[in-house]
Amino acid sequence: MKTSTLTPYAIRKRIAIVLLLTILAVIPLFLSRQPYVMNVFILIFYTSTMSMAWNLLGGMTGQNSLGHAAYMGLGAYVAALFVTKAGLNPWLSMLLSMLIVGGLAGIVFYPCFLLKGPYFTLVSIAFGETIRQFVINWDFAGKATGISLPFGAESFLEFRFMSKAPYYYIGLIMIIGVYLLMRKISKSKFGFALRTIREDEDVASAIGIKPMKYKVYALIVSSMIAAMVGSFYAYYNRYIDPDLMLQSYSVEFVLPAIVGGAAFVEGPLVGGAILITLSEFLRNEFGAILPGINLILYAVVLLVVIRFRPVGLLGWFSESKLKKMIDVKILKKSEKDEEV
Amino acid sequence: MENPIIKVESITKNFKGLKAVSDVSFEIRSGAITGMIGPNGAGKSTTFNMICGYYPPSNGKIFYKGEEITHKHPYEYTNMGIARTFQIMKPLGNLPVVDNVVPSAYFGRYGAKSLKEAREIALDVLNFTGLYEKRKVLAKDMGTPDQKRLEMARALATKPEMLFLDEVMAGLNPAETESAIELIRKINDSGVTIFLIEHIMKAVVSLCEHVIVLHHGEKISEGTPEEVMNDPYVMEVYLGKKGENNA
Repeated sequence: MKTSTLTPYAIRKRIAIVLLLTILAVIPLFLSRQPYVMNVFILIFYTSTMSMAWNLLGGMTGQNSLGHAAYMGLGAYVAALFVTKAGLNPWLSMLLSMLIVGGLAGIVFYPCFLLKGPYFTLVSIAFGETIRQFVINWDFAGKATGISLPFGAESFLEFRFMSKAPYYYIGLIMIIGVYLLMRKISKSKFGFALRTIREDEDVASAIGIKPMKYKVYALIVSSMIAAMVGSFYAYYNRYIDPDLMLQSYSVEFVLPAIVGGAAFVEGPLVGGAILITLSEFLRNEFGAILPGINLILYAVVLLVVIRFRPVGLLGWFSESKLKKMIDVKILKKSEKDEEV
Repeated sequence: MENPIIKVESITKNFKGLKAVSDVSFEIRSGAITGMIGPNGAGKSTTFNMICGYYPPSNGKIFYKGEEITHKHPYEYTNMGIARTFQIMKPLGNLPVVDNVVPSAYFGRYGAKSLKEAREIALDVLNFTGLYEKRKVLAKDMGTPDQKRLEMARALATKPEMLFLDEVMAGLNPAETESAIELIRKINDSGVTIFLIEHIMKAVVSLCEHVIVLHHGEKISEGTPEEVMNDPYVMEVYLGKKGENNA
């Protein structure tokens, strides 16, 4: 759409996006004294990014992996090893980690795609656990003790900061970058291939799509993003251990996408923002009253959402009156804006 | 037959001990509509799936334009100009109708370079197949006749020269059948060779210029619809032996 033909709806939508980005950009200025709140934001950024990585394979391609924590953990380990053992620059290590984990996932998981549906999911759990066991017993990587990253003076080049603000901005850039990539994929030939495979592999074959090829591509992209998030996690926390690859973390990356709406590119973002805020809030408010009660409440909320909104919050929102009202009253959407 | 577009040479398919198709040979003439009929379990769909690359034949060879394609994968067929529909409709249920056809425009022989181009091709095809009005409906929310049409639209959007239709009229009422026949004729008139499996005799008679009859996995007759319908063995298979009940 050319700038000259922008409808009021398109203009207002852009204003809303700019407004949102501005708010996100200035938040650290007001919260510099509240590292905990900043930490929650950073947590939202990288968990949602991981969830988007999962969603490329799970939501868009229909291959439900429950081993994504292993890719993230592996990414963290590869990056941390390059930094501590080889003395490489962290940014370069992050890049290398993405390439190595992407390549490894592509090769190791290639045979897994011969399995379909729940069988693939089971194998993804097994592979994740295998990688974790391997790391636990790997002397060079510190076995179960994990790896500590060196502390020192603040330096952008060394990916090392005293305050949380720089991590916040890097996390923000990461989530926006991955979101734009996902949106691009979703509208591309690649995205249509993945969705066709999700709906029916025989149909995909019948119109010239090689299912195996595209599933592996999706896995490689997904695991590369996971490795990037893992490297970020390692640099941010300055310490990693094999628990990072626990299977329960894999589930935490699946939930935002499912709750937000796995069919939507924005699903993991919405789900991540809501779920992490909720879980942190419950932990603060109730965690001290009775140990574990926060988790029970969290589970109840999840059950309610999944029971009543199986297509995710966005699935409900995109059909709701609320969205119509926002579109028409605030964004001035007209019939001209309806596509195709 | 001169330069058949498809040539099937004594193909056989064994499923473990069961011989589903046995030593079947035939040719499909370029530009024509060829039909295949036979009672349930005659091996029609098996033959169909063998030609389309879904089941590799246990024996025999298949040629397309003189080139052997016996062991090609289904996804390699699209670029050669062969498309198929599925007997049990396989709509991409959670996607709107237009997005069901867009992948074909991308991956088929149109080779759309952008989403805009792919959409235009898809909308053209939907217009041609009479689904334009329903382009925004989710595929799973449509009825059988429209889903059957969508099967054809999806196949057509790959720009095939040879189209395989697997019972695209099953489950349609007479009026819907009539309009499906019209559509198939329209597709054929646009230069696409068609091979179809059908149970509805009326459709076979009015569309096909050549018919192949299968029974118990074997070809029992072949010819124009009239020739085939008057073949005593075909009549016996379809209607039973004369006087069988009195004997």
